[in-house]
Amino acid sequence: MTSGRLAGLSVVVAIGAVAAYVLLLRVAVVRNHPEGYVVAFALATALAILAVVRARARRWPAWLALGLASLLLVAGAWFNFVVARVPDAPTALRVGEQPPDFTLPDAAGRPVSLGDFRGKKPVVLVFYRGYW
Amino acid sequence: MAELQGLGAQLSQAERAGVEIVAVSPDPNERSQQVAEGLRLGHRFLADRDLAVARRYGLVHTGGGPDGRDVPRPATVVLDRDGVVRWFSITRNFQVRPDPDDVLRAVRAL
Repeated sequence: MTSGRLAGLSVVVAIGAVAAYVLLLRVAVVRNHPEGYVVAFALATALAILAVVRARARRWPAWLALGLASLLLVAGAWFNFVVARVPDAPTALRVGEQPPDFTLPDAAGRPVSLGDFRGKKPVVLVFYRGYW
Repeated sequence: MAELQGLGAQLSQAERAGVEIVAVSPDPNERSQQVAEGLRLGHRFLADRDLAVARRYGLVHTGGGPDGRDVPRPATVVLDRDGVVRWFSITRNFQVRPDPDDVLRAVRAL
């Protein structure tokens, strides 16, 4: 493959990985394997390196592709392996035990306790980060 | 929020009637109300403004929010009718949430 084509392929893989991850965020398999985009950026970087090595006359497309792919690789790896990592901490949750009861206001401001549902309904309790 | 959307979409009418989905976040009530209406979800959104409940559960990602603020550590817990924990999932990477299929399987196994 020529240097220009390798550079083009590198850009397609890098941008495609970003687009696919963002567009398919609701698909559990995609969402739950964020290391996938890091792997795609690594592949794009490898293709760009190959493009640089093979470049004869016009070298700038290969270097541009290498710059883009390596930048995404560093940023993506840092985000996935450093920023998004939640340090492990002991929790009050044990299978087979009742978790601590609590009372919090619902969306209408009415107090709701976890204990309200005991003996009535199973509960799916979701802790989420919320919007800022 | 993706976990809430996925779960809401997959719970059948029967399950929706039989299971209470309680979502806890530091969002203020008005914000939660908007989210609930926007997603057309029947979940109960509870406002844990100061993370007191998340802290009691050991579910705080210290400094994990913007400007180094503390945020809840995403977690999903399935409790049976007697309020006993039957299944739970706590994330190690905040991009990752439990697969709604796994949550449903735990609910159906009750």
